[in-house]
Amino acid sequence: MTGPPARPADERLTRYLDEIAAALHGPRRRQRRILAELRDGVEQSADGRAARGATPEQALAAAITEFGNPTAIAYAFHPEMAIADARRILGWLLATGPLVGIWWLLLLHPQPWHGSPAELITAIPVTPLIAVAVTGTLATFAGTGRLIRWIPEAAPATALTAAFSVAALVLAGDITVIAVGWSQATSTALGVVAVGASLTRTAGSISAMHSIVTWRHRLTP
Amino acid sequence: MPMRPEVLKGHLDALLLAVLEAGPQHGYAIIEALRVGTGGALDLPTGTVYPALHRLERAGLITSDWETVIGRRRRAYRLTTAGTRALSEHRTVWNEFSAAVTAVLTRRPEAATT
Repeated sequence: MTGPPARPADERLTRYLDEIAAALHGPRRRQRRILAELRDGVEQSADGRAARGATPEQALAAAITEFGNPTAIAYAFHPEMAIADARRILGWLLATGPLVGIWWLLLLHPQPWHGSPAELITAIPVTPLIAVAVTGTLATFAGTGRLIRWIPEAAPATALTAAFSVAALVLAGDITVIAVGWSQATSTALGVVAVGASLTRTAGSISAMHSIVTWRHRLTP
Repeated sequence: MPMRPEVLKGHLDALLLAVLEAGPQHGYAIIEALRVGTGGALDLPTGTVYPALHRLERAGLITSDWETVIGRRRRAYRLTTAGTRALSEHRTVWNEFSAAVTAVLTRRPEAATT
């Protein structure tokens, strides 16, 4: 069963929002939210004009003109979307830390519950890289989140640079741990899982770095 | 005459927070409130207001939720406690700034000495 045919005004609004969507980048959920908000705003504006006597088509045309060029609107969201993407990437890298690290720890220090904290830290050959990456991630979260009420706000380009740097550190860490850790492996099965986890994250890190470079180009005037 | 958005640089946050002080509003209603409340002087473009609202939400100064009004989904923004405090600080800074600028701009040069 099909619904009622779309009115010309509805089709025009859908086309307008599609043009915005085509130029909008960043997390999908944020994109959907922005488009829903804009749709509501245009409809509000059109309703007001229709209430003052305009036909639905005239009202929508005027509302769309008021909202402006679809590409310009999408570009206006780029700084916020770049920050949202940088935070998403950093959150993903931070979350994968324990998920990947636990396999290497079990491989390189088979009984971690019997070791001192110092032994556990030195068992992983890339601990300094992890420390720098975590510090960079937390600093970027602080400079792009609620703490900006008290500390200087990080610009989108800065957040992207930080996310790129952390992704590069994670990439270097994974390659190093595969090269060094594999030779010290005490269990082949565990080694395969650990290498598999690191390789999966390596692919994710490379994809994230590519995405960040694309963002840098988009933000360049 | 409408003001250019760049003139408002540094004051946009305060203006948006002030509009939301009266109660929750959705994006287009905020644009309308600024336009109507200033007799058309602050006719801000969509591309200025919506991203600024998203930034304020990221900073925790406002929060938003979807509401359904007459069958239509609408994102309503409201001030948080931190936003109310920030608005108060903006007002204090603005009062001091405007008093200082007014004092300078309204000063007339003394008659030229002969």
